[in-house]
Amino acid sequence: MRFNINLGQRYQAILSYAGLIYLLGGLLMIAPLLTLMAWPGEWVHSTGFLLPAIVISGIGIMMWRFFRPHTPVALTVQEGGVIVLLSWVVVCLFSAWPFMAILGLNFTQAVFESVSGWTTTGLSVVDVTMAPHAILLWRSITQLVGGAGLAVVMLATIVGPIGPGLPIAEGKSDQLAPHVRKSVKLIVGIYTGYAVVGIMAYRLAGMTLFDAINHSFAAISTGGFSTYPENIGHWDSAVIEAISIVLMILGNMNFLTAYLLLRGKFKSFYRNGEVRVMATLLPVCVLILILLVCRGIYPTLGKSIRAAIFEAVSALTTTGFTSTVYGNWISLGIFVLTVLMLVGGGTCSTAGGIKQYRIYLLFKSLLWELKRLFLPRTAVIENYAWQGELKNFISSEQVRQVATFLFLYLSLYVVGSGIIAAHGYKLEESLFEFASSQSTVGLSIGVTLASSPPLVLWTEILGMFLGRLEFLVVFVSLGKIVRDSLAMVR
Amino acid sequence: MDILIVGGGKTVYFLCRTFLSKGHKVTLINRDLDECTWLARRLKAIVVYGDGSDPQILEEAGAYTANAVLAVTPNDQDNLVICQLANLRFRVPRTLALVNDPDNEEVFKQLGITAAFSTTRVLASLIEQRAGFEDITNLIPAAEGKVNITEIELKETSPIIGKPLRDIALPENSLVASILRNGQPIVPRGATVLQAGDRIIVTTLPENHGQVLRMITGDTE
Amino acid sequence: MSPGQRLYIIIVGCGRLGSYLANRLSRDGHSVVVIDIDESAFDALSAEYSGFRVEGDATEFAVLEQAKTDEADLVIATTREDNINLMVAQIAKKLFHVPRVMARVFEPKREEIYRDFGIEAVCPTSISGDIFLRWIEGSSAMDGKGS
Repeated sequence: MRFNINLGQRYQAILSYAGLIYLLGGLLMIAPLLTLMAWPGEWVHSTGFLLPAIVISGIGIMMWRFFRPHTPVALTVQEGGVIVLLSWVVVCLFSAWPFMAILGLNFTQAVFESVSGWTTTGLSVVDVTMAPHAILLWRSITQLVGGAGLAVVMLATIVGPIGPGLPIAEGKSDQLAPHVRKSVKLIVGIYTGYAVVGIMAYRLAGMTLFDAINHSFAAISTGGFSTYPENIGHWDSAVIEAISIVLMILGNMNFLTAYLLLRGKFKSFYRNGEVRVMATLLPVCVLILILLVCRGIYPTLGKSIRAAIFEAVSALTTTGFTSTVYGNWISLGIFVLTVLMLVGGGTCSTAGGIKQYRIYLLFKSLLWELKRLFLPRTAVIENYAWQGELKNFISSEQVRQVATFLFLYLSLYVVGSGIIAAHGYKLEESLFEFASSQSTVGLSIGVTLASSPPLVLWTEILGMFLGRLEFLVVFVSLGKIVRDSLAMVR
Repeated sequence: MDILIVGGGKTVYFLCRTFLSKGHKVTLINRDLDECTWLARRLKAIVVYGDGSDPQILEEAGAYTANAVLAVTPNDQDNLVICQLANLRFRVPRTLALVNDPDNEEVFKQLGITAAFSTTRVLASLIEQRAGFEDITNLIPAAEGKVNITEIELKETSPIIGKPLRDIALPENSLVASILRNGQPIVPRGATVLQAGDRIIVTTLPENHGQVLRMITGDTE
Repeated sequence: MSPGQRLYIIIVGCGRLGSYLANRLSRDGHSVVVIDIDESAFDALSAEYSGFRVEGDATEFAVLEQAKTDEADLVIATTREDNINLMVAQIAKKLFHVPRVMARVFEPKREEIYRDFGIEAVCPTSISGDIFLRWIEGSSAMDGKGS
């Protein structure tokens, strides 16, 4: 009985914080209506945003007031996970409302677009030429906030002492400062800085303000939505591509690493494993692409180089911007991009994929094992990797966790690609598109369309969701909810 | 002199023995009963069992009448407290602290313990400077580590033998301080000519130490 | 320092007292760094602790530098050894110029000497002793014994 009372109190705290996040989501839903200032003719669509905003805000406020604990409660990571799961599922569902109400998409398609936004994927079933500006801005906003993290943004702006459990659960676990609120504010601050710089840069390069805002949001959140069907390819401008590349790389960098760079700690920056992975993988892949793939496709060497670099960076950073189409790319090119998509971006950033740190760790483990063969049998070796400015000594437990994650990731990848292929798509296309979903990239080879079979879309939705929240949060939180519900009922 | 030593281990044992053989009176404070017993059996010193950083123990061991207190425990923090107590409370004229972490040499000085030295630093410099020069004994870093005193045996191949000292261009701030020839000490003058087999004592600064040694031994490494 | 200000606090020693202070101070919104020589001591930190953890020997100058002691507003030394607390406190006060330095000192005889160094020392032994004595004297039901 005591256990139930305590459990009840914990869940009250959980529900109240989830309510706060719903309120935040609702307020965000009103933001796209700012476009009415520039395009007043679109006011007819405003109910498509106002209604869901009011409903979810209302539910959120009620949950917040009703369940609010008397003193702020510190959350464990598991409880943080439950809040993340509850908030993301509900917010994604409510965000689908405008797509259904305004664009007339069916439930599957609307949820797809919504999830693609929040998870910063960027795959789309929407015809952007026909969409009102509010919808376009909404998509970009979902990517912006989804990239930082709903919970993280809420923490930075509102609540008091609830501990580091929530940011850890949502994937922003690195400590930039000796207090969670300061860390989170720094993250949001850096992120906002990126956005502002991005908007200014795109404006200077010739985009309209509306396009600059949308694409800046999509770039730094490594999301990839665009206001044009040809994506960045619409402008065919080396300058815009260059700006995008810089923003994409910034967005995919671990926030702690970025913070180090901003503070001028270059030595620590170069020692960082993820920086090294990017610095080796990108040039190698770009070279392969230029020499073996793009030269055969594009008329000029210049265009080949641009395309190779852009697409490679877009894939690795899991952004999903594209400057070209893949219809005539040979298999090697598709293969390289698929591999880059699976590797993914940095940890504690807006990017997806397996994450560069894990790849780095497994690779270094291999090297350490080889090195061990040449050392005295009884030598005691402590291997380490740099994390920020400190040495993180790698235990076999850490390696095991990474290996387990990799296994989970690839298992889902196999299943997801299999389901897509079962619908008749070519193997190459299935592998590419599901990698794009699971790693929340957004590059499409043509499988994802409004007309795609629903099961394909739902498979991709699952891939995006699990990919963004890194499985364990989802599984562990679900398990906890089920177990706790059973305990309370008994 | 009336010397009070706090610490344990072989170093302390031999330190005590050395002082005793020179005729000083030694009192030893040690925290381990078994070690106290062992020491008491072998040394003609007064062995006190207790925590040397405890003012009461220090008083019982005669800190008020001691001329010198040496804190040579393995823990820098204990050595700090012992010396500070000795200085401030008991007004012992000379206190010396052993410092294990070389960085703490400077720290101790800033906290008021002027005589703090690090065996690590001495040993490290011995090893570094000994490597590659077998004929050289580095005696001590003197004057707070700002001056090195080194003893070198001149070989046949040394480039500076056969020339008068005044013709040898040693770098600034280095000096041949003394020459030992056939067991006899010679005070070097400008006209002194160095011979193979001479053992010379040179003072150098850390910056020119390597250069001077190379000039004297002829090693280009 | 007014209450309600967010401070940068370094706590040396993550035992019962150290971890208690760290948890509370971090929960109250301060930036906290905990230093302990033994990594397993950090297990005593709760879910609400969101500060840094530094594994190392605080009597080593380099470790205090790593913890950015020069930027600290407050250093609290709570290890189990008086001498370590006092050494760390002195280094913090005199070399890093930390505005406020506090230390726990178990041995009452040392308490006085170190107040002279400008270190706020708390002696649990004396405090506990005084409380017990007050209880004892109070229970002998004599008035005039007070304060």
